[in-house]
Amino acid sequence: MVATSHDVMLDIELYQPTDEANALALAASLGKDGWLLGGGQDTYGWVKDRNKSATAMIELTQVDAWKGIKETSDGIEIGAVTTLTEISKNPLVKEKFALLAKAAGVVASPQIRNVGTLAGNLAQDARCWYYRRGLDCYRAGGNICYADSPEGLNREHAIFGASRCVAVSPSDTAPALVALDATMVISSAKGQRLVSAQDFFVGPDVNITSMTALEEGEILTAVRLPNEWANAEYYFEKVADRNVWDFALVSISAAMKVSNGVIEDSRIACGAVECVPRRLDDVENALRGQQRSEQLAERVASIASQGAEPLNYNHFKIPLIENLVKRAVRG
Amino acid sequence: MGEIVRYKRDVWGEEVILGVSWDLLWVVAVAVLVLLAAHAIVMAVLANKKMDKPSGEGKRVVRHEAIDRWFHWLMALSIFALILTGIAPIVGLRFAWLNWHWMAGLLLSFITLVHIVRSLFWQDFKSMILGPRDFAEPFDSTRLPGKYSFEQKGMHWAVTVVVMTVIATGLLMFLQIDSPFWERTNSMPESQLGLVFLLHGLSTLALVALASTHIYFAIRPEKLFYTRSMFKGWISEDEMKANHDPNLWSPKQAD
Repeated sequence: MVATSHDVMLDIELYQPTDEANALALAASLGKDGWLLGGGQDTYGWVKDRNKSATAMIELTQVDAWKGIKETSDGIEIGAVTTLTEISKNPLVKEKFALLAKAAGVVASPQIRNVGTLAGNLAQDARCWYYRRGLDCYRAGGNICYADSPEGLNREHAIFGASRCVAVSPSDTAPALVALDATMVISSAKGQRLVSAQDFFVGPDVNITSMTALEEGEILTAVRLPNEWANAEYYFEKVADRNVWDFALVSISAAMKVSNGVIEDSRIACGAVECVPRRLDDVENALRGQQRSEQLAERVASIASQGAEPLNYNHFKIPLIENLVKRAVRG
Repeated sequence: MGEIVRYKRDVWGEEVILGVSWDLLWVVAVAVLVLLAAHAIVMAVLANKKMDKPSGEGKRVVRHEAIDRWFHWLMALSIFALILTGIAPIVGLRFAWLNWHWMAGLLLSFITLVHIVRSLFWQDFKSMILGPRDFAEPFDSTRLPGKYSFEQKGMHWAVTVVVMTVIATGLLMFLQIDSPFWERTNSMPESQLGLVFLLHGLSTLALVALASTHIYFAIRPEKLFYTRSMFKGWISEDEMKANHDPNLWSPKQAD
């Protein structure tokens, strides 16, 4: 049960559809037994440790329709299995949505970004080590949280919005997409539905065993970025223990429309402080129509941490989020 | 299907109870539906032989005071909210249910406490005691009950046991989550916690069965006058004499 890595791969039926219809049909027919596989950087850890497994996997990276970046009438559309390296280096993304390019460019390590996909980064599972070690915690369908216990090690865990589970959203690109007001395209054999990036991520109060709004048989197939926030003033920063191959302790993604030093509008989201990317609505409201200044940055920084409920070992996230907001506002 | 109790490994790798198997929810639902449907069929057959039905007209007597009716409906509301919010995530309905669940639980705990105090000191507690005489009642058609029939007392005490179990285990579970009143310590041993979850789950299933049965009997044609009394407070004198022994229950006249 508790972490033992094995060298031999489990006997898993592998499906490699090359067209959209086939992939959706497989997802529908296999249901919860069909593990969706992107770059595998989340999956293989689970399987290798034998803490989660699947009887069948549907590899999505061979579906051309879900790859690549294209310009649309209202922005750009990124195929969900486009690699993070491609996103971070794509001229169109860099030109219009540099925030996402930067966020995608700091995920894990170059090797992981070369195979890791956008959908994989967004839909990856919680990184709480109690959960990843195979303990039967709330998120695993159990009745206890080991991280938020008297001896629990919770340095990386949530300071906002915990509901029994205190794991955080580990994705670097998720807050960037929330800040850019992206729309997720979710496909299934029944059709397609569009969900805003903010609603795509689900907290433990709503669903404690899943971090996204994806239901059985559904696949995240594309992400649409509207021109509304193209070429805004962006700020992205990820604070982690290491510069490479690490998850954020706190990250910030900010998009601001600034005119003559006045912040007309903004969208700011933080990663790794809550189970979902945390949108800083109160900070955005406080910034709206204000002249950008050091005083303003100081003032709104404390708003960002209001309502924080730190655990035993993550009080440091409060000054961290405040300082990141200051830096974002300063620009 | 098949299992009643779910198990898990605790942090030390030992097998401990996790809780009740929610497959039982469907077993309970089907069992209750089948039993109530069977009862409805039997009653429909018997109804052809029964002709006389007491009149709801004429003089009225008080069956439930206003405060007791309020208590009943508040309890019904809280139990309904608890069942709805507790079962919704099990059947796949997604919403932030937990806060609504514990708030409904606190409401149920409070009104149950008030009811216990009131029934002990201000109501006729004896009228609800289930004695040997009551057990003979279903087998002797000449015996009429006091204020409450054997079935009503039986239902009351069954609900009492189940609700008290739900409340006791629910409060213990409430201590395991953060709330506006405290920060959780999360320090209950996992084996004990599993037992609490199991009892809460079992009592929830019993409550689903009892609530369904209660609603079914409340809408039975021959029992509708009792339901009316839970809204309006009275039953007719004719209904009282046909169903109750005036020597054992002498209610005051309704206005």
